[in-house]
Amino acid sequence: MPPTRSTPAVPRTRPARPARSTVRRPARLAGRRPARLPVSRVRRQLPTSPWLFAAPGLLVTGVFILYPFLSTVANAFTDRRTLVPGRFVGLANFRELLHDDMFWIALRNSVLYIAGVVPALVILPLLLALLVRKNIPGIAFFRSAFYTPVVASIVVVGLIWVWLLDERGLVNALLQTVGLDRVGFLSDQWLLLISAMTVTVWKGLGYYMIVYLAALANVPRELHEAAAVDGAGAVRRFLTVTVPAVRSTMVLVAALSSVAAFKVFSEVYLMAGPSGGPAGEDTTLVMLVQRTGTGLSGRVGYASALSLVVFVVTVVLMLLVLRADRKEES
Amino acid sequence: MPMSRRALAAAAVTALVLPLSACGSSDGGGGATADASGKVEGDITFETWNLRANFKDYFEGLIADFEKKYPGTHVKWIDQPAEGYADKISADAAGGTLPDVVNVSPDLAAPLAKAGLALDLDKAAAKYRSEYLPGAWAGHQVPGMTGTYAFPWYLNTGPLFYNKTLFAQAGLDAAKPPRTYDELFADALQLAHKSGGKVATLANVPTIEDFGRYGSSLMNKAGTGFAFNDAKGIELLTKYKELYDAKALDPQVLTATPESTGKKFLTGAVAMNPGSALDLDHFKKQAPSLYKNIGITDQITSTGHVNMYVMGLMVNSRTKRAPAAVAFAHYVTDAEHQMSFAKKVAIFPSTAGSLDDPYFTKEDGTDETRVRVAAAKSLKNAVNYTPVLFSEQMKTALRNEVAKALQGKQSPKEALDNAVKACDLLLQQQG
Repeated sequence: MPPTRSTPAVPRTRPARPARSTVRRPARLAGRRPARLPVSRVRRQLPTSPWLFAAPGLLVTGVFILYPFLSTVANAFTDRRTLVPGRFVGLANFRELLHDDMFWIALRNSVLYIAGVVPALVILPLLLALLVRKNIPGIAFFRSAFYTPVVASIVVVGLIWVWLLDERGLVNALLQTVGLDRVGFLSDQWLLLISAMTVTVWKGLGYYMIVYLAALANVPRELHEAAAVDGAGAVRRFLTVTVPAVRSTMVLVAALSSVAAFKVFSEVYLMAGPSGGPAGEDTTLVMLVQRTGTGLSGRVGYASALSLVVFVVTVVLMLLVLRADRKEES
Repeated sequence: MPMSRRALAAAAVTALVLPLSACGSSDGGGGATADASGKVEGDITFETWNLRANFKDYFEGLIADFEKKYPGTHVKWIDQPAEGYADKISADAAGGTLPDVVNVSPDLAAPLAKAGLALDLDKAAAKYRSEYLPGAWAGHQVPGMTGTYAFPWYLNTGPLFYNKTLFAQAGLDAAKPPRTYDELFADALQLAHKSGGKVATLANVPTIEDFGRYGSSLMNKAGTGFAFNDAKGIELLTKYKELYDAKALDPQVLTATPESTGKKFLTGAVAMNPGSALDLDHFKKQAPSLYKNIGITDQITSTGHVNMYVMGLMVNSRTKRAPAAVAFAHYVTDAEHQMSFAKKVAIFPSTAGSLDDPYFTKEDGTDETRVRVAAAKSLKNAVNYTPVLFSEQMKTALRNEVAKALQGKQSPKEALDNAVKACDLLLQQQG
């Protein structure tokens, strides 16, 4: 007799699947007699249920991440413009970017940004974390102070630094006071890039400091004590105890900061201006994507091809960092 | 139903191919098809460019009057911030949510017209054409297309402001500001020399407007390619290179924006800055001490025509309420309302005869009226030097090549040849 609503039964031929017990569990926990669902309904619903639970998340991911990504991939092979649908052009956009001087300038700057920012953001926050983890009076103030730039708006931060580094800004005024010449922080191609890197490091220090504080809390005190007993000084203890203990965190910080550095936009845009510095020499890849693909005459197809390059390089970067970590571990 | 791998793969492929299905040839452009005849009624949207903050009451009153004049109409007013306006319009245009009446400049109207999103007013509103200055009406025509794609709205132009104190300190006669390019370059070199390179005269690199004002022919006659790499263009850039080398241009000139050049002038870092009648009030509030020492002189031009900026109101060709949208765009830009708007802010009407109003012809001894009268007079034969097809990407290309010339990385001729080549390529890609 097939199971019905009035005579619920578990078919003998098929053992109950583990999922069924999960259906009953809430009722049991509530101390009531389990309301058993008809098997046919259970069978029909159970495999779908996880998808239904995941649906909101999947929908958001699909609409706001997957679809734009796939759309970018598709557009990269077209000559689409903002107001014109475009035609399939194969690899033409990728061939063009190989001959685009501005692409190579932007790639160079993005790579230089990683080289300048990542080591600083891996090492300096660790030193800062070691400094502020000490329990001395007033240290909470410094912890908060170091974290403040993280919560400050990047636009505000950028403008403040522009005022500071302007030809007639505070830094140049100080330099002149001590008899030095004014420095073109915002007019020289390389100084501009270094200034933008400084802002990125300054703004990121607090965030990674917190990450390191969490990692340092897990380093057993006994290790330090043992090393100290063996005669290791502060520097040696740092290199032989602290660094190995937080190595995986350092890898994480390196991965996160390298991706962020490669995708830098705001700092350079605010300090070098929309044209990307003198003659566009400070343009980064993301700035180039923005400049190429936006506006009423934006070259969406070409900008999508550039975006794909950014994506591929970012993924490769992550893989390299993770691979380096695995090698180190093995 | 469990989702099979095959179904998942199919979904992924569909998602990948779906965007490609949008690819294809453009649907033409131009061609505005909405019928503007018929009863003026229904709901329309009206988008302006950063006007709510200062003119909320004016526009609300204007809209209320229109709705009263045409019962059954309702105008929803949207105002967008100045920053990213072009991006907002392009997102709306691409998404099919472009408002019915949109505030545009000629360079914004051109791509929209090419994409077939701007109503051709020569067809839909030809009867209003005679109400506007011929030059202003022609301001929204696009090379390579027939038709006019926006109602002319307000115009603006402005003088050249200079800092009398800095002029006097350099041994220049503050009562005799430069009136020709030769005088400007000579004064700039003297200012730099006398101040030991500490005071620059200008804080901006030459833009397409500057090349036009200097006498360079910006585009070929057919409007199919750029031509600012002619002898005049090279001459202007060579002069700017001399100024840059002599520190007569601000050290941060290569990364300057219009906002930053204004600030440089306010702080006395540079001696001259182009502006408009709008700036006087700004100087008075932001830099009262500078205001006392401000000199005002005419825009310098070799062509006899000063530069003017043109604003327009475009009607979306896909509007479902074309009669109401055209009627409203005309209502906002007619002589009466342009005049009332001009009395609220220092702008100039584009309607025929309005500039002959005593408001624009009689001075009362104040700087404001002096600037207003001089600007109104110069507008009668002013030119919008920025080609309507000159996109943001082209501006960047020109700016970068000019910067390389100023830095000495290439000669002015090489720089302008490269800029023309890059702009021509972008023009070609625009279709």
